[in-house]
Amino acid sequence: MTDKLSRRDFLKVVGAGAATAAVLTGCGPASRYVTREPYTKMPEYNYNGQSTYFATTCRECAAGCGLIVRTMQGRAIKTEGNPYHPVNLGKTCARGQATLQGLYNPDRLRNPVRNSRGESYQTGEKDWTEINWDTAIEVVAQALKDPAGVQFLLGPAPDHLFDLVREICKTIGAPAPIRFGALGMFEARVTLGEAARAMFGRPDTLFFDLANADLVISFGANFLETWISPVAYTRGYSKMRKQRTRGILVQLEARLSQTAAKADLWHPIKPGSEGLVAAALGKLYAEQKFGIAPAAFEAVDVAAAAEAAGLQLEALENLTALLLDADRPLVIPGGAALAHEHGLEIAKAILALNALLGNLGKPGGVFHTPVSPLGEEYRRPASLREMAELVERMKAGKIKTLFVHGVNPVFELPQALGFQAALEKVPTLISFATFPDETAMLADYILPDHHGLESWGYQRVTDGTGQAMLSGAQPVVAPFYNTKSTVDVLLAAAGLPFKDEVEYLQNQVAPLVEQTGGFYSAADLPSFWALFQQFGGWWKNDVSLSAPNAAGATEKKLNLKAVEASEQHEEFHLLVYPSPILAEAGANKPWLQEIPDPMTTVMWNSWIEINPHTAEELGLHNDDVVRVVSPFGAVEVSVYKYPAIRPDVVAIPFGQGHTAYGRYAEARGINPADLFGPNFNEAGDLAFADLKVRIEKTGKKRELSRLESKLGVYGEGMEEH
Amino acid sequence: MAISASALPHAHAEEHHAHDHEAELRREHLMLDPKPRGELNAMVMESMTSTSWKFWVVAGILAVIVAVALFGAWGYMISEGLYLSGKNRPGYWSLFLVHTVFWVGISHAGTFVSALLRVFKVEFRRPFTRAAELMTTFALAQAGIQIFAHMGRVWLAYWMFPIPNQRQLWVNFQSPLMWDFLAINTYLLASTMYLFLPLIPDLAMARDRSTGWRKSVYRILALGFRGTEAEWTHLRIALNIFAFAILPVMFSVHTIVSWDFAVAMRPGWSSTIFGPYFVIGALQSGVAAVGMVVIVIRYTMKHMDYFIRKEHFDAIGKLMLVISMGWAYFFFNDYMIQWYGGDSFTDALLHFHEAGPGGWIWFMMLITNVAIPWLVLWNKAWRRNPVLLFSVGLLINVGMWAERYIIVPVSLQINRMPFLWGQDFRPGIEVPIFIGTVAFFVLLYMLASRFLPLVPVWEVQEGQMAHSIRRYGKEPVVSVAELE
Amino acid sequence: MASLPKIPEYKAEWAEGEAGRWGIAIDMDLCTGCQACVAACSMENNVPFVGEHDAGYGRQMAWIRVERLWEGEYPEVKATPFQPVMCQQCGAAPCEAVCPVFATVHSQAEQINLQVYNRCVGTRYCANNCPYVARVFNWADYSNYPEPLANQFNPDVTVRRRGVMEKCTFCIQRIHKATDQAKAEGREVRDGEVQPACAQACPADAIVFGRLDDPESKVSKLSKDKRAIKLLEDLGTQPRVTYLKGGYHGNLG
Repeated sequence: MTDKLSRRDFLKVVGAGAATAAVLTGCGPASRYVTREPYTKMPEYNYNGQSTYFATTCRECAAGCGLIVRTMQGRAIKTEGNPYHPVNLGKTCARGQATLQGLYNPDRLRNPVRNSRGESYQTGEKDWTEINWDTAIEVVAQALKDPAGVQFLLGPAPDHLFDLVREICKTIGAPAPIRFGALGMFEARVTLGEAARAMFGRPDTLFFDLANADLVISFGANFLETWISPVAYTRGYSKMRKQRTRGILVQLEARLSQTAAKADLWHPIKPGSEGLVAAALGKLYAEQKFGIAPAAFEAVDVAAAAEAAGLQLEALENLTALLLDADRPLVIPGGAALAHEHGLEIAKAILALNALLGNLGKPGGVFHTPVSPLGEEYRRPASLREMAELVERMKAGKIKTLFVHGVNPVFELPQALGFQAALEKVPTLISFATFPDETAMLADYILPDHHGLESWGYQRVTDGTGQAMLSGAQPVVAPFYNTKSTVDVLLAAAGLPFKDEVEYLQNQVAPLVEQTGGFYSAADLPSFWALFQQFGGWWKNDVSLSAPNAAGATEKKLNLKAVEASEQHEEFHLLVYPSPILAEAGANKPWLQEIPDPMTTVMWNSWIEINPHTAEELGLHNDDVVRVVSPFGAVEVSVYKYPAIRPDVVAIPFGQGHTAYGRYAEARGINPADLFGPNFNEAGDLAFADLKVRIEKTGKKRELSRLESKLGVYGEGMEEH
Repeated sequence: MAISASALPHAHAEEHHAHDHEAELRREHLMLDPKPRGELNAMVMESMTSTSWKFWVVAGILAVIVAVALFGAWGYMISEGLYLSGKNRPGYWSLFLVHTVFWVGISHAGTFVSALLRVFKVEFRRPFTRAAELMTTFALAQAGIQIFAHMGRVWLAYWMFPIPNQRQLWVNFQSPLMWDFLAINTYLLASTMYLFLPLIPDLAMARDRSTGWRKSVYRILALGFRGTEAEWTHLRIALNIFAFAILPVMFSVHTIVSWDFAVAMRPGWSSTIFGPYFVIGALQSGVAAVGMVVIVIRYTMKHMDYFIRKEHFDAIGKLMLVISMGWAYFFFNDYMIQWYGGDSFTDALLHFHEAGPGGWIWFMMLITNVAIPWLVLWNKAWRRNPVLLFSVGLLINVGMWAERYIIVPVSLQINRMPFLWGQDFRPGIEVPIFIGTVAFFVLLYMLASRFLPLVPVWEVQEGQMAHSIRRYGKEPVVSVAELE
Repeated sequence: MASLPKIPEYKAEWAEGEAGRWGIAIDMDLCTGCQACVAACSMENNVPFVGEHDAGYGRQMAWIRVERLWEGEYPEVKATPFQPVMCQQCGAAPCEAVCPVFATVHSQAEQINLQVYNRCVGTRYCANNCPYVARVFNWADYSNYPEPLANQFNPDVTVRRRGVMEKCTFCIQRIHKATDQAKAEGREVRDGEVQPACAQACPADAIVFGRLDDPESKVSKLSKDKRAIKLLEDLGTQPRVTYLKGGYHGNLG
């Protein structure tokens, strides 16, 4: 080396390097805050014009929550809860949020069509010809000319259509319209109503004042998911927890549902033993409190009840102690608890327990729902037995024209009922479906109604709130396609003296102008109508809950039986529950499909929940496809090893398994309704919780898409290699 | 000094009555088996220009692979999105980063072997420094491709360059990725210059011995090198500076690459051992790759059997063995620190390494990186067996790929949110892109072998001049003169 | 040698961020896991859906997820309280330091952690470095919906294309509009005036949003509650989301 790098020079070099580094860091924004303006401003920081908000009513289920829909330039952007609406007070559930994906669903029906019943009809192919609305109205008018052969089958919403149809049927002398919804079937609403009639003398779905109760024992009522009015009951739950002394929730059901996951205490009791447990609790409570058990509970053998439920006697005693401790105890009957052969008796036992606890008409207790300001009597949906009767009439050829609106019976009804087969005997099926659902696919005419957000209407809301109210609906956007309001179609076809739907609605709500104590009042109908639209309905300021008549409620003897214990290991109770996210009609909304199920985090598909020990005994692993066989049908579905379900029970959510209904729903998962048989309880509701199934291995595997980690949550995946 | 212009005494001519041992020494060592300068130059020139049709067939196939598997697949991925790769949450980084580290690691050893051995004046280095340095440059190019493929919006990659712009954007020097970017660029620049400097005399040699387009290109590249005293002096000084300076750069590069992981707030990554662990890992894969390249050159190119001999296999084999031991030390160190540091997520992660779905990869890594080199390379005869050495080199590279695979996608599966622990990571379009980069690497190497003298012929001559066999009593003794 | 510019004292600077301006308190005793927040967030913020395969493969795009784990074995099994996890808008965010192009920065006005989509080049380092795994990446152009599904896009929120990172923004578009409104009226933003979509939808009122720098606001009070915990607080990230633990009733287990 001729030239040396001296120490001094070396330091110079290093110093220059350090300075450069410091300068680079110093010149760059080394401080934490960096100007947020990048290249161009993002829309988040811009004003993109003014939004317009419209109040309307959610049609995703029958609860009738009030919505405020944000629209911009004629497009609906976002649904938000109506903060004044007594049912939801500004809140919504996931389904309410996703309702826009129904409005803008790419598979909506866009024109009225006629489907010829040719050979293609048998193979399920569509042979659609577009028709115009004049022809369509003519078809309806022709059908209405044979009143005896006309039958309307309507969904739980909207009520104004139901009122109109009832009027028309009464006028022309046709049989009364039938309303049906799968959620009502899973909630066993008819049974609850019948039990209320039997115990308190007035049939309704009752109002359970969760908010003020300090102990709630729920027999599988999934009120945080889909039961009756989930948003309202979730609010009640929240208030119950926020009381000065935090309310306690006890859930008694075979599977840890989303609601049970929030319970302080969960007992996996055997399906069918709910009535016995209620009665045993009543007996223990009465004996300890009053020294004597009333007639309703006298006969029950507490030890045997505990045995039948698969509980320790101690557990019942602890529950009794909780009841004795509580100031405002409340017992709630869930849908699956009543869906047994003797479900009505179970419902009665639970209501009698409430009567015994003395909470009828008291804060934190049981009330009759308020009477709608428009309708006087309680109008219940059809029970499954009534649907079976309808099917019989169809088979007998008594129905010439079947009108279907707002319900998808081909999908929702148990296949064993034979609705689809009976359609063969119905010469004309006219569907008013918005989406190409299974029933519409079989219809001779599809005369698509507007989507709920494009529609006028009202809903008589009686559940979930103590205020008597009528929830109003109005179009938030102009109809997208060549659809027509069914009310307009019927008005035109039946030749009623109303110019259009709005005039009919105004006529209907006119009596409210006279009523006092409302959220607002107006001098005349036009002003009232404007306010009705603005606020999304009309309701009374005061709570108008009435106390049920408790007289003799605990004195009627109950005829309770436990479902016979099956010793066979091959047979499992099948618990079908409506998916908390999809419910009956959410499957065509892609975002609902992608929202993970709250308990299993499965997306986009169906699964069967099996206790891990049972699965091990059967040699089943996650994602193994099993064949679930009932006496009435069979389905193939992937296994989800669910840690919190009774070993003798398996569960499948309801909501998937469509064979039509648009690209997001079609051919996805299975429909557990295919497994149901025509078994009814005393009130006529489907006794679906009695169903036993066999599980057969298929050797196939179909991976479920889950959000949760199998590794982090279940420790799976560490041992397999 | 300059190389004396007078011809070297021909070894064979002088030593007619060669002793067995002496013949053995000459056969064994290139430095003791000198050839006249002209002959050496001619051999190197011939090795560059004698190309069989097989070469072009192989090059053509590789070019097709590069076009389809690398640029085709990559272009498709750019237009479609990264969903084509196997990435997900929590495996946000995956095979592209594995391959980046893999290629950076390979590139490491080229310069390491060359610079370190040059600094320590290790004589066996002379014939293969060029081959090793070329590897550095070409492997770094592949690393660059992989890191660009990794980016979600590669068309905006220039936003990462600290250049004046009108976007009101500056780069974040707090980000380890920036450090990485600068380190790799520095290394690329330094190693390219380090490749180029010793090339100059050889390019000048080639310029003087070629015609046509080659001559004109060599003339430009040789920068007018004539071999004057002053030129040699400058070259030597520059080489000396570079050889010393590039060593810390090289250590820093892989240390900084390791900081991409070590600085992150992740169980299993946030570790002080990562710097040296990555460096030794890089050397492990790189030296193995040098071994493989040297063997391939030796058996595919003309006259290379003269330049590359068993002594080189032997030396590289020893180096591989030593480095493998170092790697094993750092590997187990990782567990030791965890053993007494004890964070529960890292515990879960280390358990996941061997018991998770990628457990077999973990075991394979240990076998190929530790067990096999230790079993094979102790044995001198096995070390000198090109097939065995090549296989061991290949296995070590597979093992080092596995190590990076375990560090990147496998370790990413365990985070601090057990609800989102992953175990589902499938390779996607990364596979063809990786195959494409391998093909590209080989293709670049093949093309370079047609154009650049793969043997630094002046260094070999220099070495041969310095070496002689002297006889003290009966024993022949190797004598090395200091030429500088 | 010239004197070097002083390197900022990061710790001291970060301490100022501890209080924060906006924050969320989530009562895990009230959260029912109903996923209304997930739906509301997705609708408000144009979060795309990705389809069955990608959703199962860890590419679901939701900005908020509801976690639940399991404890024990049947019949003593218990689901842990539902825990909605979104970006915690850390005061000392690990994601910010590692982004080479300043695509994720702290905003001075809102003091939250921004994701600047049009700066993002998609290195995904921020996501790796987020201890809450709160970031999601656009692996494809998931927002290319079939018509007319795109009609529901919120014009206030960027529709992200492939190759960029995204995460919860505390509905910054709403914060921004409310603060501008308040400024125009010459007042401070009132408590409860601005709500992100998740808090707005939450049927159980489990999510409370508001100003942390106002000691009287609901969220400030809740974040000082004795049940308040912060997620992975020991990492020093200074999260702005407070969880109120609970869900078990003393003697019931």
